[in-house]
Amino acid sequence: MEGSSESDGSKLSRGTFLKMGGAAGLALALPASAGAAVRRVAKAGAGSISVVCEAGGKAELTKIAQLFQKQTGTTVNLVELPYAGLYDRINGELSSGSLSFDVAALDVIWMPAFAGALHSVDQLFTPAVKADLFPSLVSGAQIGGKYVGMPVFTNSEILFYRKDLFGSSKEQKAFQSRYGYPLAPPKTWQQFDDVARFFSRGPKLYGTDVKGAVETEWLAHVLQAGSPGVVLDKSGKVIIDNPQHQAALAFYANLHNKYKVDPAGAPQTDWAAAQNLFQQGRTAMMRFWAHAYPLIPKNSPVYGKVGVAPMIAGKAGIAGIPGPWYLSVPEKGNNTALAMEFLKFSYDHNALAVQSSLGLAARKSAFAHYQNQPKYAHFRPLLETLSAKATVGRPANPKWQQIVDTVLVPMLQKSVTGKADYAALLKSARSDVQRLVG
Amino acid sequence: MAPAALFLAVFVAWPLVKLLLDSLYQIAPLAGTKRYVGFGNYRNALSSPEFVGSAERTAIYTGIVVSLELTLGLATALLFNTLGRRSRVLRTVFLYPLMIAPIVAGLLWRFLLIDNFGIVNELLTRVGILHTPAAISWLSDPNIVLFSVGLPDIWLTTSFMSLVLFAGLQNIPGELLEAARIDGANARQRFTWIVLPLLRPVIAVAVIVRGIDAARAFDVILIQTNGGPQQKSETLSLLIYQTMIRYGDPGLASAMSVMYLLAMLVTAAVALATIWRPGRSQA
Amino acid sequence: MTALVFDRRRATRTLLWLLLGAVVVLYAFPFVYLVLTSFKLPTDVISVPPMFLPKTWTLANFHAALSAPGVPAALLHSLEAASISTVLSLLLAVPAAYGVTRYGTVPGQVFIMGALVARMVPPVAIGVPLVGIMNSVGLNDSSLGLAIAHTTISLPLSIWLMASYLDAVPVELDEAARVDGASRIGALWRVVMPVAAGGIAVTAIFAFLASWNEFLFALLLTSIHAQTMPVVIANFQTQYGLQWGTMTALATIYSVPVVLLSLFLQRRIVAGLTLGAVKG
Repeated sequence: MEGSSESDGSKLSRGTFLKMGGAAGLALALPASAGAAVRRVAKAGAGSISVVCEAGGKAELTKIAQLFQKQTGTTVNLVELPYAGLYDRINGELSSGSLSFDVAALDVIWMPAFAGALHSVDQLFTPAVKADLFPSLVSGAQIGGKYVGMPVFTNSEILFYRKDLFGSSKEQKAFQSRYGYPLAPPKTWQQFDDVARFFSRGPKLYGTDVKGAVETEWLAHVLQAGSPGVVLDKSGKVIIDNPQHQAALAFYANLHNKYKVDPAGAPQTDWAAAQNLFQQGRTAMMRFWAHAYPLIPKNSPVYGKVGVAPMIAGKAGIAGIPGPWYLSVPEKGNNTALAMEFLKFSYDHNALAVQSSLGLAARKSAFAHYQNQPKYAHFRPLLETLSAKATVGRPANPKWQQIVDTVLVPMLQKSVTGKADYAALLKSARSDVQRLVG
Repeated sequence: MAPAALFLAVFVAWPLVKLLLDSLYQIAPLAGTKRYVGFGNYRNALSSPEFVGSAERTAIYTGIVVSLELTLGLATALLFNTLGRRSRVLRTVFLYPLMIAPIVAGLLWRFLLIDNFGIVNELLTRVGILHTPAAISWLSDPNIVLFSVGLPDIWLTTSFMSLVLFAGLQNIPGELLEAARIDGANARQRFTWIVLPLLRPVIAVAVIVRGIDAARAFDVILIQTNGGPQQKSETLSLLIYQTMIRYGDPGLASAMSVMYLLAMLVTAAVALATIWRPGRSQA
Repeated sequence: MTALVFDRRRATRTLLWLLLGAVVVLYAFPFVYLVLTSFKLPTDVISVPPMFLPKTWTLANFHAALSAPGVPAALLHSLEAASISTVLSLLLAVPAAYGVTRYGTVPGQVFIMGALVARMVPPVAIGVPLVGIMNSVGLNDSSLGLAIAHTTISLPLSIWLMASYLDAVPVELDEAARVDGASRIGALWRVVMPVAAGGIAVTAIFAFLASWNEFLFALLLTSIHAQTMPVVIANFQTQYGLQWGTMTALATIYSVPVVLLSLFLQRRIVAGLTLGAVKG
């Protein structure tokens, strides 16, 4: 079957199929025996814990959970929920106090909102542990002086580019004669502009994408410009209209407004759309999360032609927005001791996470162990971006998600509509953020 | 009657009472605090541009969707009626979108209209209506997105309009039209003076039913744009959902819901009182 | 002269047929394209420019869809919730509608109006309070709980439809049964119901579809043990990518049964759809 070359085993096993058929038949034969369908919220027993996580988290945790089960006899149920659904579900259950999970995988930006309802994991953050984690990972785990999560993996945007295009001697000659320096994966904003314009030959090929529907990439540019923080500074003051934010917005939106190096639809381009465009061979470069490197499908026209480099640099050098995920334990959980044991175990065996389809980890030592293998070519750029001086995490504000949804994303979408006044946009964004953070 | 009434009381009326109570409190679910604020939430909602904006958009969206459905539905119903019995097979084809889940329809249309690889723009380009497939950005142009997100709904339920109106047309006595024809009325006159007035109650009912559904649109829009870009396709249902669930402000969301529900009840009640006699009178 | 008129009329009719044909083709196109797309290679699904027919026919998307975590279970949950909701809706609607049509008109009208008002309630308004109620009775994240929520949507319509059908059953029928010694319920069960069987079937279809296609309550009320397909489909877009190929396959799997159903039961469904509106 042609499709069997898909990344993860997409073959439907005969057993699963038969089970499904049988179950479907059963459900039809017993016309809605209501009693059987009532299921109480699963209260995890002593011998098992359940972990709610996102698709990526599940991939990362599967091997660790199996080993945990083998060594301790405790069953680990990994319950996968979609990204937005996971947030809503955890939010709802922590609010109502009726918990269906013992451990939750959390995006770093959710931690401030949930911190009050999470169990302290201070005891796990020994000096040795802190030394083996990136500083931004450690600071993201600490809310109000209390550690509330153990990192599982971290991510950052890096630069993806088409090796075949960059390596072509015809392109190299043309680029050299037009821009006066050799064609290479761009390291600075200026170079990025040049290369993106050079490869824009629409509608078949564009320089890069411009993402109007997600905010993190612009925030990375804000850090590259040398801003002390994104949107808010360390003391919580709104700085979204400082010169660095302005410079980053101009760089970001000019790619679309001035240089027109991107395919149609910038306002609604999100991660998935950008990834699809790159995998279709429609963009020569893509700023994207590192995990995408091993995920390029074999039947993609760019398979085997993709190179990776650290995120580009602004005045303050390279910077990325770290995208770590943590494991946390609810304060009112039923299985706190076992859950804490699992957290420690997952840290100890963090390197196992690298062997998952997502292929990321949290510990420096885990990354270092794999970084020389060609399959993990994205590790070096990722490490370089994460260790860069200008890389810092997003503000720990409980309203962060709302700031993103109602201010940042609409602002970016406005910025990519032709003649946008960047300074005015940031000024009005400032008052919107101010209103939210009070 | 009693069990059904009890059921509706417990699972519809009681949640509504809870909603009404919640709307008077400021609630922080994670902290577990609840503070009585009277009509504070209502004042906040009415003074927030998001609420007013999405209320407007809900009204516009409903207007666009229902009027297009009515126009297209009436046109196809007239076609079916003119062509008679032999058009039945085609009526069957017309029916099928009604069965499709709104979430699937939204997803499907997002795929048809999507930038860069959507087939609609490709086809429009091939037949020469567009110069390039990138000429219209259905779901990312804030000026037209409110119309674009309504397309799945129009596709899903024009057939409802069409079938209802067709049934209404069939009920118009043939002799009446024949008599008018003999009196020298042309097709357009027959339509304006006989068909439309007789069809009016049916149209009214169909418009109310569809209007209520369109005003509650949630999943179709959520899956297409999630309210974007620039919140230009965010309707009340989406705003209330986000306020309630994502931003954790049930008090404010409840106040919004109450006003939303009241507005719908008033609009529908006015329409109902004028044209619809409920209960046994239908026999 | 008459021949000319006849010719002109024929020409108009042909034109109208062509017009109708075009409308129907346009109407069928989206779904046909969806189904065709689900048989394309995952990378061809998002090819630029898009293709209409698959270049290579493959079941890869269906394999991916059915082996995705939660999908087979979600199909079952959808079936479970829709079946329970249908039964519940009929159990409540048939006696209620019978009451409305056979007993006094004033409470009946008030009741019907109440049911209609219930239909206007936006699900988002009662969704969250419902979550609280389901939590307190232990039905959170269960098919029964979801079915109850779905019944709040379908019940008003079911009562309305059943009232219309039962109205058409002559009162003399159940009076005759009562003379023979049957109770009210007995008369309803043995005499009225068989006569109204067609109407009950239509009502059942609508109740089933209302639950099968519902999204918001499913999103709010279920997570692990009862999550239905619409939620799974909606959430297929993860932070780590959007697989259009798999999504089209999921959408096809979920829609084809109901589309086929609509073709088989076409006449009944049309009758049900138009009944309330036209008779009103």
